[in-house]
Amino acid sequence: MKRVVTGFVFVTLAAAVLFYTRSLSAADTDFLIYFENSTLALKSQTLDRAVYLPLQEIVRHLGLASTDATGVMTFTIQGQNSRLVLTPGSGFISYNDQPILLQNPIRREGGQWLVPLDFLSQGLSRVAGVEFRYRPGTRRMFAGKVTTTELAMNAQSLGALTRLTLRAGSPIEVDLQKETAQRRAVLVLKGRAIDPARERLEYKDALVQSVEFEDSDGMPRLLIGMAEGVRDIRLTPSDGNRVYFVDFVREVVSEAATPTTPTASAASTARANANITAGAGVRVIVIDAGHGGIETGATNSGTLEKDVTLLLARRLRTALQSRISATIVLTRDSDIDLTSEARAGVANNNQAGLFISLHTGYSPDKMASGSSIYVMKPDFTGGLSEPAGGRLFLPWYMAYRPNAAASQTMAQSLQKNLIEALPESKFPIRFGPVGVLASATMPAIALEIGNLNNDTSVKTLLDPDFQTKFTAALAEGIGQFAAGGRKQ
Amino acid sequence: MSSRMSRHLKIGLIVLAVGFAITLGLFVDVIGRIQSMVQEKEPIGNPFTPAPAPLYEQTDPPMTVKVFFPGMKDDIILSAEDQTIRRSGELANRARQILQKVLEGPKSLSLYPSIPKDTKLQEVFIDDMGMAYVDFSNTISANHPGGIVNEQATVYSIVNSLTYNLPEIRQVKILVGGAEKETLAGHCLLLPLGMDLSITDITPSKEQVNHAD
Repeated sequence: MKRVVTGFVFVTLAAAVLFYTRSLSAADTDFLIYFENSTLALKSQTLDRAVYLPLQEIVRHLGLASTDATGVMTFTIQGQNSRLVLTPGSGFISYNDQPILLQNPIRREGGQWLVPLDFLSQGLSRVAGVEFRYRPGTRRMFAGKVTTTELAMNAQSLGALTRLTLRAGSPIEVDLQKETAQRRAVLVLKGRAIDPARERLEYKDALVQSVEFEDSDGMPRLLIGMAEGVRDIRLTPSDGNRVYFVDFVREVVSEAATPTTPTASAASTARANANITAGAGVRVIVIDAGHGGIETGATNSGTLEKDVTLLLARRLRTALQSRISATIVLTRDSDIDLTSEARAGVANNNQAGLFISLHTGYSPDKMASGSSIYVMKPDFTGGLSEPAGGRLFLPWYMAYRPNAAASQTMAQSLQKNLIEALPESKFPIRFGPVGVLASATMPAIALEIGNLNNDTSVKTLLDPDFQTKFTAALAEGIGQFAAGGRKQ
Repeated sequence: MSSRMSRHLKIGLIVLAVGFAITLGLFVDVIGRIQSMVQEKEPIGNPFTPAPAPLYEQTDPPMTVKVFFPGMKDDIILSAEDQTIRRSGELANRARQILQKVLEGPKSLSLYPSIPKDTKLQEVFIDDMGMAYVDFSNTISANHPGGIVNEQATVYSIVNSLTYNLPEIRQVKILVGGAEKETLAGHCLLLPLGMDLSITDITPSKEQVNHAD
């Protein structure tokens, strides 16, 4: 027993020592500092879990006067009217004889002065007169007036293709280089000082293996590792070169050719690919899955409205992604409760071009089949009388007003498509003071589908075939409305 | 050796027991809180409070009113049903009588009740601007079965029944459990609402068209 315990303690200690020494050991990596007209690539060192940069190289690049007094072991940087003195092993630096405390000490190893990252923003920026911006966890720093371009990326599998969406803060140019032999695609981002939200995408599927941002030589690019199945890569710019869709396609689909005996799935893939750029005027579509969390919505022996709406919202997202080159955002992708304002807020904050809230119906009439399309009540004043000279500011619940007519047009477009696909329901357009629509600043509708008090209707709602048919018709209607001139 | 072991065992068991007791206590407390949140108990009536004043005098003349209940057919969400109340002197008492009829539900079998069972009318207050504040117990919201059409039917059965029959009331603000609520059950805004006959089987008169918001 004692031996087992001693053994266990020994193994744990050994593992701890190994881990500690690994974190202590210097791991050489490259670090970039973007200046206004130049880029400085440095060999950084990780010492005691802090990133260190070689000071002399930075000082030389900035053209600052410095003295390395080996006798008294100090390093002095001279600014125009200021002076910065560093001593090794100490976190204190002296700026014009005023001490500044850094989080990590200054180091001097093998004749080289090493400074922690906060030295640049706390100390060097004062003598150099340049501001340094750094986001923890990244390998780059931006100095002075460098304008950065933020880059967000995400990937989604759309069945026959995997779509990588790049969203840049300002217009950039992207060049696609296919390195099929190495099973790699390189997207060269022609813009300086690109600041990616994430260094690499935690995404892997049957087509895309890895997505990594790389700029160690000052040339920002994305390296995409691909699987064997990729036959074609397509790059589609959108929104004035702010958004790029990179589609990794499993098989090359000829848009003109129609198979003689088309199967349902092949036909829908061909159509999806043909229409994929439709609705380019709308950048973002927000889908709201009604209810969630403690708010279950309507129920029928175990079938909860919140679950059905989330399922339909996810299906609609997939259906839309294969038709429209817009980003599809869900207000919730899990079982959480949100207020009506928060739901509309997701659409407003994402500057969505369309907002659609999904609900299931409940009628006291067990025979009713339900389904309605709701538009915000047009003359709703919420108790306020209209002032004579119009309003300077709209109360939050009147934010829908500028888009009231567009919301009605969208409702009509959806109604047409839904009746065509599901003729058993009439999908009447109704007007009501619907909370989730009141504060949406874009064309917005709420769709109530089925009747949870009707067992037959519940069965239909849970039928995957019906769900596919319903979401496809809805996506088609949304696509037509989006293509019909609603521009942002 | 064995006595030390048993002492260690005892200490271990005591620590475990104390830990278990604390966890159990916390668990019971949390469950209690959740239960009290879910089913807020109606306050127990004070036996010493005087009996409520009658809503009308026996001498008050009868008055036919249209009370709106869900009866769905295409665009129509609400159907009107004729009922009789007494024309009491105080406006708020007439409003209370009408709301009592709404709470009781329809006589016709083709129509449905609009308000969940066990809901109580707690207070009615009408201000000088013609705004009626009607306060219902929490059950109107907590026990509402849901659905946008159904929720709109509940809200407008109250709003229309009051504004159609009592022209002095221009708008209705529904309160739940004495407080303001964003929506009744996740769909319909509970801001002050005016009459909406477009969802009913009643055609509004000219006067009522001007009257609606």
